[in-house]
Amino acid sequence: MEAQDHIMDVVESETESRIPSHAPQQAPAGNTHGELPNSDQDASSSSKAIPPTNYKLRYTLAGHTMSISALKFSPDGLTLASAAADKVIKFWSAETGEYLRTFKGHSEGISDIAWSNDGEYIASASDDKTVKIWNLELVEAVKTLVGHTSFVFCVNYSPHSNLLVSGGFDETVRVWDIATGKCMRVIPAHSDPVTAAGFSHDGTLVVSSAMDGLVRIWDIDSGQCLKTLVDDDNPVCSHVKFTPNSRFVLISTQDSTIRLWNYLTSRCVKTYTGHANRTYCIPACFTNTQHKRIVSGSEDSKIYIWDLQTREVLQVLEGHRDVVLAVETHPTRDIIASASMEKDLTIRLWVNQDG
Amino acid sequence: MNRSLLSKDNFALPTDVKTSLIDHASYAKFDNSGRYIAAGRLDGTASIWDLETRSIVRNLDAHVKAVTSMDWSRNSRYVLTSSKDWNVIIWDLCSTCEPIQRHTTIRFDAPVVSASFHPRNSNIVLVLLNTGDAYVVDLRKEHRSRVELVDEMEDGHTDKSRSAMTVARFDTSGKHIFIGTSMGCVLVFNSRTKTLVGRHKIAGAGIMRGFDFAKGGRRLVTNSADRTLRQFTLPIYPPPSSQSVLETELEPQYRFSDHVNRTAWHAMSYSPDGDFLAGGVADTATHKIYIYDITRDGQLITTLDGGRELLIYLHWHPSLPIIASTTNVGNILIWHCRIPERWGAFAGGFEEVDENVEYQEREDEFDIEDEADVYTRKMKAEEQEVDIDGDAEVDEEKSILTSASIVVASDARDEDTVWADEEPDDDSDTGGCRLKIIIVDEDYL
Repeated sequence: MEAQDHIMDVVESETESRIPSHAPQQAPAGNTHGELPNSDQDASSSSKAIPPTNYKLRYTLAGHTMSISALKFSPDGLTLASAAADKVIKFWSAETGEYLRTFKGHSEGISDIAWSNDGEYIASASDDKTVKIWNLELVEAVKTLVGHTSFVFCVNYSPHSNLLVSGGFDETVRVWDIATGKCMRVIPAHSDPVTAAGFSHDGTLVVSSAMDGLVRIWDIDSGQCLKTLVDDDNPVCSHVKFTPNSRFVLISTQDSTIRLWNYLTSRCVKTYTGHANRTYCIPACFTNTQHKRIVSGSEDSKIYIWDLQTREVLQVLEGHRDVVLAVETHPTRDIIASASMEKDLTIRLWVNQDG
Repeated sequence: MNRSLLSKDNFALPTDVKTSLIDHASYAKFDNSGRYIAAGRLDGTASIWDLETRSIVRNLDAHVKAVTSMDWSRNSRYVLTSSKDWNVIIWDLCSTCEPIQRHTTIRFDAPVVSASFHPRNSNIVLVLLNTGDAYVVDLRKEHRSRVELVDEMEDGHTDKSRSAMTVARFDTSGKHIFIGTSMGCVLVFNSRTKTLVGRHKIAGAGIMRGFDFAKGGRRLVTNSADRTLRQFTLPIYPPPSSQSVLETELEPQYRFSDHVNRTAWHAMSYSPDGDFLAGGVADTATHKIYIYDITRDGQLITTLDGGRELLIYLHWHPSLPIIASTTNVGNILIWHCRIPERWGAFAGGFEEVDENVEYQEREDEFDIEDEADVYTRKMKAEEQEVDIDGDAEVDEEKSILTSASIVVASDARDEDTVWADEEPDDDSDTGGCRLKIIIVDEDYL
């Protein structure tokens, strides 16, 4: 805290440079990415100046009894849902941090959750080989999607929320009709467990990643594979998602690297490094604020925030005492939620003070 | 989005039946987004199909006699059904009632042949009765009215005994109403003033049976009792203030007819860009669709054969080479262009080529480069800014979808447009009103 006050003092004397200058100082000393070029602060390039990131811990939420695997904000940003290996989904107020309720029903741990776009339903993927759809109002599971022959690892809604895509350890990607709960399509997508699957913003494409190191893009209408993205070293892919405009995909791999790929040209356009990711499937996400950043958890118990364009680490959030397995950004405000594994079991909400 | 990854030349014309929706439909029409199909039945019920899940998402149940036509508002919030039970019903698909309740009922004193929304405002409805009369019903508070469209002859008296109205359609901008008559005439009314601005005698056509407009708005195709489709390029009509009526004999640009069997046409529909015309034949043995290429002198490009169930209606998807054709037993066939599986897509960095290519190796292709150099070059390349939010391509796609409304937007200050935009309906494209997903109870099935 003292160090922080000191920085603020310095800032007052040179207001022009205050914005980017203090951000890297919050990074640990050993982090070489912390050096932001001073030339960026010149008035001539002020339009390119990187706005400040000064995320501070707002709330610490405790309640889960086993590793927390997924965090998702509701579409209106009022509620945070968390899923864990303790087989339950918990809901928290994103505003006050208050505990709201728990959904119980799965017989095994939950790996992933997803909100429908109207915020009335939440889907959960579990090791009991099912996906359940829960109605928030009725506080019960309204559909159980049965079909996967092994653990279900990831789940996502289509933009119209009439379809659901799930992937799991049976190496398939499945597309479900929500209204009837029937499986519409089984895609034998990969030759290793599927770690992530998600729709493009217009609902015509699905991207999937797997432990075989491949990322594939599928045409939802025909079920055909349209593209395969693979890196030279073929590291295990732990997560993939489309950018908001669906022109790129953000791929996290277990060589401690996050890459942004242009899938049309099959080219990696940005690389983000600095964090540690060799064992777990840690997702990365974009901030939804005006200035775009990339946020990811890390196996060194920290959360890393990169600038989308410059690829520099803007801030490292410390506080968790175990691997940060889940991170999520708020849909409208500059808030990050993070959660950690066994030794910690807390959910933390971080708010950008300068945002 | 997926179009950027699929090769372009595959997007030509429908070739195969992709799926057939089992319904008892006699009428099936796409909405403006192409996501839904509205299907009407002879028993008076109607359904909304979601093409993504290929299942019925709403049942519209109110008519007691056959549904004769259906129409979508521009952003698919409202659907109207017209029926032989003398009613036109407007449904609000965003209503949360289950089962869905009627939004508005418009009652007439004769069976309704067809009804359609004004393209800009779903509170204005054009209705045609089987007595041969057409009405414009305005449901807006300020304009509330029901006006009959009358062809006043020069000498002042109306001449209804001579010709009945058999077709009534708004053009794509909604500025004009096109009426086909039993005497083979096309009458053009101004939608706002309901006055006659054009009258065309189509030589040899006989009773008019149907109209379709290409999205650009200048092309009209007519179906008539002489079993011929005629395509016209429409003239510019005088504004109603000039009191003049454009009286010309339109000469068709192309005529399409079956020269061998002389079979009649049941329905026709333009492709999204207006370059192709699909005609559904009233054949008594097979389900046949002929597709003509307008850009190449109207020559026959392809014939689609849909088996033994006879065709009764067809409609082209608003943006893709997909056709929905309804059969006489009530199934809806969805025709699409089959894209062959590209197995090369399963391999990373692999590109299929159509023909063998002699590979030219670059001079330095296999030189061993300094890793540091490679790294610097990569970092340099990564400095280029990326745009993950905005998207030119999406805007482009959007413009294809809404090209009809863009044509209209160009004359936004036009008197007729202003009139139609007064008291707009709540059917905005940005408003969060979407068709809610109703989860079907398993016991219910």
